[in-house]
Amino acid sequence: MEKTVVSIKELVKRYGDLIALDHFSLDIYEGEVFGLLGPNGSGKTTTINCLLSLLAFDKGDIEIFGKKMTPVSYDIKKEIGVIMQNVAVFDELTVYENIDYFCGLYITDKNKRSQYVEEAIKFVGLEDFRKFYPKKLSGGLLRRLNIACGIAHKPKLIILDEPTVAVDPQSRNRILEGIQELNRNGATVIYTSHYMEEVEQICTRIAIMDKGKKVAEGTKDELKRMIKNTETITIEILELPDRIKAEISSLPHIYDAQYAEGRLTVSCSGGKHNLIRVLDVLQKNELSFGRVYTELPTLNDVFLEITGKALRDKEE
Amino acid sequence: MQVFKAMLKVMRKRFPSALVYIIVFITVSVMVTKASTKDNKFEASTLDICVFDEDDTPESRALVEFLGKSNDIAEIKNDRKAITDALYYKRINYALVINGGYAEKLKAGETADLFGSYHLDESFSTVYISQFLDEYVSSVNAYLTMGRSADEAIAATEEALSQETQVDMLRVDKAGNSHFSVDFSGYFRYMPYILISVILSVVCLALITMNKKDIRYRTNCSALKNSSYTFQMFFGSFLFVFCIWLILIIIGAFLNEEMYTGRAWLAVLNSFIFSMVIAALAVLISSFEPKDNIMSLITQITGLGMSFFCGVFIPMEMLSSGVKSFARFLPAYWYVRANDMIAEIEPYSLNDVLQCYLIQLLFAAALIFVTLLVRRLRYSSASIGSAVKKAAANS
Amino acid sequence: MFLHILKYELKNGLRTKDLIIWLILFPIGLGICFKVAFGGIYDKTEKFSTIPVAVVEESDNAAFRQVLDNITSADDPFLKVTYADRAAAEKLLDEGEVEGIIFSGDKLSLTVKEKGLPETMLKSFVEQYTVKEKIVTDAISTSPEKAQEVITALTENTASSCKEIPLTQGNPDVYIQYFYNLIAMVAMFGCNTGMHITIQNQANLSALGARNNCSPAHKSVSILAGLAGSFIMETFCMILCVSFLAFVLKVDFGERLWLVYPAAIMGGMLGVSFGFFVGSLTRVGEKAKVALMTAVSMLMCFCSGLMLANMKAIIEDKLPWFNRINPAAVISDSFYCLNIDEGYERFISKLLTMAAITAVFVFLGFISSRRKKYASI
Repeated sequence: MEKTVVSIKELVKRYGDLIALDHFSLDIYEGEVFGLLGPNGSGKTTTINCLLSLLAFDKGDIEIFGKKMTPVSYDIKKEIGVIMQNVAVFDELTVYENIDYFCGLYITDKNKRSQYVEEAIKFVGLEDFRKFYPKKLSGGLLRRLNIACGIAHKPKLIILDEPTVAVDPQSRNRILEGIQELNRNGATVIYTSHYMEEVEQICTRIAIMDKGKKVAEGTKDELKRMIKNTETITIEILELPDRIKAEISSLPHIYDAQYAEGRLTVSCSGGKHNLIRVLDVLQKNELSFGRVYTELPTLNDVFLEITGKALRDKEE
Repeated sequence: MQVFKAMLKVMRKRFPSALVYIIVFITVSVMVTKASTKDNKFEASTLDICVFDEDDTPESRALVEFLGKSNDIAEIKNDRKAITDALYYKRINYALVINGGYAEKLKAGETADLFGSYHLDESFSTVYISQFLDEYVSSVNAYLTMGRSADEAIAATEEALSQETQVDMLRVDKAGNSHFSVDFSGYFRYMPYILISVILSVVCLALITMNKKDIRYRTNCSALKNSSYTFQMFFGSFLFVFCIWLILIIIGAFLNEEMYTGRAWLAVLNSFIFSMVIAALAVLISSFEPKDNIMSLITQITGLGMSFFCGVFIPMEMLSSGVKSFARFLPAYWYVRANDMIAEIEPYSLNDVLQCYLIQLLFAAALIFVTLLVRRLRYSSASIGSAVKKAAANS
Repeated sequence: MFLHILKYELKNGLRTKDLIIWLILFPIGLGICFKVAFGGIYDKTEKFSTIPVAVVEESDNAAFRQVLDNITSADDPFLKVTYADRAAAEKLLDEGEVEGIIFSGDKLSLTVKEKGLPETMLKSFVEQYTVKEKIVTDAISTSPEKAQEVITALTENTASSCKEIPLTQGNPDVYIQYFYNLIAMVAMFGCNTGMHITIQNQANLSALGARNNCSPAHKSVSILAGLAGSFIMETFCMILCVSFLAFVLKVDFGERLWLVYPAAIMGGMLGVSFGFFVGSLTRVGEKAKVALMTAVSMLMCFCSGLMLANMKAIIEDKLPWFNRINPAAVISDSFYCLNIDEGYERFISKLLTMAAITAVFVFLGFISSRRKKYASI
């Protein structure tokens, strides 16, 4: 396999009685866009903060680029770009000055820096806002500035902690494309989010966290294979007698059939030609039906199945 | 009473910071009260004098001895720097040099240049001792003129100067035994500064949280009537202020070493009314949503400014008439006036005290009225609309 | 790196309008306030104004009456005499129409209601009269032939027997102390700039802090740059403050005004480092830090005499060591020394004390904010 960039071993972090991270381990390899998924309060941000040595932890080891991470590992920090959940920019400095300031903490060469800053501005599309103060920027632009401040120095490892919270679809797409572009240019990316579509769209490998533990890890397809559901068939039918519903349920590879509001939802697990067999049953019973959909499982299904469907309402 | 409850919760959260202020200001007021009991004494207290007797004759020693009878003679190294230090830090009040040839000159009837005094700044003690020396010398001279010997002249002078003038303090009791000493009135005198600082810094902090734009918009969207909201906010502030005031009054009773009696209750009432004025002021200031550091600025300016202008720190009689007529427009002026009357620093008249109360209450009413007006202007839906438009135009 | 952070520290600081208001407008406002309030005091306490007094003649005392008549007929009389009976006089005193009552009988006695300057003057007037009366009586009884000579000797204005040996060329106005303390207060308020250095550099205090912590910039370098930036800003504010007091309000700092500047700047640095120290305290919330800082610096200023000028003397009496280390007192003392002293020893020792306190605060601040992990963010 490729070179390990980040290695987390048996990380434990307690806040008083609350266990935020419970023997959490993770390896991230060079060139990946690694998605860290999990419901609110599952420990994603805590993991990131421990990774960056901002937060003291109770047990475990963290290595970045093969070296132990400490608060004074300046050589490691040089190669990391961080975009936090909260926008961290100076209100009193303009867009350009903010990026220049943070870039300057990494890169001392002036010419190189001004080139990098320009590139970062172009990269997030803030060309027209160079002289703006953060207060005058809209939510999406502010997030983009936040990202520009984190990546202007062209880091090898980029850590993004929910960078798209409260951002409109246009800005979000732009941000996601940007992340992929950074990845193409050689950066390893760690991306946390609870938006499944985003993660599905950009991540090459994903870990799902819950209650401070890693509950699943793998590529998108690997994860999807982990769950029972392989296909969901939806058929619009005006009425469906219970007898026929039972008959459909008893078909092989079908583990669930629900009928509600003129819509039959059939969950399948493995097997081939499931749709044809369901339609056969309907035809045999001379039931007319309207539109038919079939869907492969999404990450959302994986997520919900693994972390349970109960509503989460813990603080992040 | 949701707003009220939330406000109390916010205030409870702010209480630790409030406590810091309260403790510091109470320390200050205890120190001030202790200091003022020492400070106001009218009786010529004993002064600390150091004497460098360069003449060293029986005459000069007699003078030193006589000075020592009513003052303390301090020993200081005869060194310019040491003397400056001692004078500067008020370890001594006066540094006297009896010049060589003092006895001769005295006998010859010369009065000029008998003594020298190290002079740092113009103070009461300097003037007092200089006058005393002049008097001593001219008296000795007078007795010498009468033909007495030097010894006799000095003895007679000492006798003459030792006469005590009887000074009585007038106490016309109108409200029975007033039980409100001039000394203790100091505690109430400095209370405005403490009240302003504590109340503004705590109440405004809580109110600004409540007034934060997002929270306010949300409250505005609710079914709660605006007037009810304002009322609850005033109510919460007044309640908190009442607690602060109560703490100060209880501490006052401990400092006074007895329960308030007689006229002291008038001072207590006076401070209560003043607290309410400041509570109203706090609500008004917080309506402008100042930022935290601006808030401290306003607190310091209001506290120090009002205290200096209205005779809290400096006795009112010292202030120029221009300052005094300006101070009339500040509530603390009327507080101090009432307090002075109650302590009989100014002539006491119940009617005048009541008038001062009334004026303070009018200040409170005016502040509340202005607050309502400001809130109406600033927070009305129209202004929200224009704020939104402005924001839209900016983005 | 240092210069890079410093540059943005300054840019950031200059655009923080609140701070500018704090550090510039505040002393201007309070300075004007002091000037107005104290403007007349020196004249008022130094100059005599006419003191209204009631005289109750319990028995005939022609000599005293003669003296009073002489005084009241002078051009600028220092007494305004009302003759009254005891009841009327007490009423006048009670209503504040007169400052005191002199009962003239065989012996003079004085009744007053307050303790103040006019009362003290009345007392010394009565005492002087009593002394002179005794001398004249003695003269008449022992050597009547010399009596006239004695009286002349007593009444003629003799040259003062006491010559003042000035210890200073400075401004003797005691009220200037309030301005010293005002500068000390502005210097102490420099703690507000000092505090934000730590907030910006501690990951658990702000998002910016977290981001700065993730950067490869050494924490000591970024703190030093922050301190330097704050020092520069504070220096600018102190220069402005002293200039305003000296040139606009015409406060007289003595002969060595140019040395007031370094003292004020040194004080400003002390204030910044104090704020830096408080800011770096762990386990204290930001609001509580601000409260602690404001309250403590106000307490220091109070002890140094900002509210009551004689506070410093009282502390000198009870806790003299506190005056040596109370930053506000040290700062205001340095101006005093500059004004009063002829030499520089004390002024320099005050400057050194300031430097030492600054160093201690910076050192402690560094210790507690050195690179570390946080228990929670």
